Amino acid sequence: MSDPTTMIELHDVHKSYGHLEVLRGIDLQITKSEVVVVIGPSGSGKSTMLRCINALEPIQRGKIIIEGTDLTDSKTNVNQVRQKIGMVFQSFNLFPHKTALENVMLAPLKVKKQSRGEVEKIARDLLVTVGLSDKADNHPDQLSGGQQQRVAIARALAMQPDMMLFDEVTSALDPELVAEVLNVMKDLALAGMTMVVVTHEMGFAREVGTRMIFMDEGVIVEEADPREMIANPREERTQKFLGMVL
Amino acid sequence: MESLLNGFEAFQRYYLNWQIIQETVPLLLRTLPIVFELLVLSMFFSFVLGLILSLMRLSRFRAFRWFAGAYVDFFRGLPLLLNLVFVYSGLAIVGANSGMRFLILGEIPAAVLSLSTTYAAYSAEVFRAGIESIHRGQMEAARSLGMTYGQSMRYVVLPQAIKIVIPPLTNEFIALIKDTSLASVISVQELLFTAKEKMGVVANPTPLAVAAVVYVVFTIPLIRLASRLEKKRERGSKGQKPTGGSAGKTPALVSADIAAQLPTGGGVR
Repeated sequence: MSDPTTMIELHDVHKSYGHLEVLRGIDLQITKSEVVVVIGPSGSGKSTMLRCINALEPIQRGKIIIEGTDLTDSKTNVNQVRQKIGMVFQSFNLFPHKTALENVMLAPLKVKKQSRGEVEKIARDLLVTVGLSDKADNHPDQLSGGQQQRVAIARALAMQPDMMLFDEVTSALDPELVAEVLNVMKDLALAGMTMVVVTHEMGFAREVGTRMIFMDEGVIVEEADPREMIANPREERTQKFLGMVL
Repeated sequence: MESLLNGFEAFQRYYLNWQIIQETVPLLLRTLPIVFELLVLSMFFSFVLGLILSLMRLSRFRAFRWFAGAYVDFFRGLPLLLNLVFVYSGLAIVGANSGMRFLILGEIPAAVLSLSTTYAAYSAEVFRAGIESIHRGQMEAARSLGMTYGQSMRYVVLPQAIKIVIPPLTNEFIALIKDTSLASVISVQELLFTAKEKMGVVANPTPLAVAAVVYVVFTIPLIRLASRLEKKRERGSKGQKPTGGSAGKTPALVSADIAAQLPTGGGVR
């Protein structure tokens, strides 16, 4: 906890929905500029873990600490902590009643109360970064899935977060649109962003990931360098899973 | 043939008596400001109260949910006519006997209070269904950006929900227009009251026919508008460009949900 470069800490995190225990004791530490790739079969708890890190789901036991702030402490202002964490969802979740530019501008305007001019400049710059400066005035339903997802990334970045969570962000995309989103994520990683990426994209994991985590049945089964894990998985469950996806 | 003609003549004399029509029309038109006053005030208060109740019903605080649920059930189950008589006469009796003079309401405030409290229950259900039809991911995306629950509701969920509830709210409004006629029993001098009075004077039901025409002239365009809005909404959700995978399915799913959930005007009562 004393290490200032520690961004995310999970200590013995348990999460259940009724009788179904989805996370069964997760311990994880993520330091600055790491790109942690989380893989595992569906229902293994990957997405739930991500949602717990962002306090979208309450946990039943354990601790989650974001940059030294204990999320499980009832005195913690969750909204403030969330501002440091950007999140991108599988289903984009852009605001359909707003244009791409307005989507990116909304949170900085209302949460950070920055001036409109300042926010618009940041937002336009971000749309340039994700390659969508010409789509600023389009509504989400006029954009392709890949474009929507890039707007969603820009929207999260507009709050200038210290870390980003990606929840299977390419799973809902047509195959030809996956690359444009992964490229934006790759640039982000190269720029030093701390990232936790739940994905099935092994190419991306191998190229960009600094650490790989294999989850199954609510626990972390194996942890290693992505290239190492993909080439020589130690655990039998990891071998079986990688055998199926590769 | 002759008896048929006689029958037609009798019908015209009793229901479409030209002489009486000419006398009644200006009389009824003069009541329109009162009808509009009832309508506008009741609509405003019922929408505001209905929105508050719907938010309470979706709140994480159990007491709010309980109160809103009880309110909606009670007023949906209560005859509007009883509500009117209670608020006008019932409260006045208590007020007169106990010295709480503020309980003695004039006809129009009493009518507005009854119409608003009852219609708030209907509106609350419409708003709740509208808010619930907005995909959970919208609230999550807003919260993940650091917005509070209130900000997420105000800037993300409600603007989308309002668009969805406009057609059912139009139906509410149509029902409200018709139900202002109930205020005649507490002697609000609106359309029906005035028509009935005139009917007594001329001993002829033609004024009722005139009143019927006035109601229908106002309601039919709104009925058309409501069904046009509903069709437009259906078209709108079908016209959404599929965006691939589960995300693309969302709009269609949502509109199907709404169709199943939203009470359509007549269905509620």
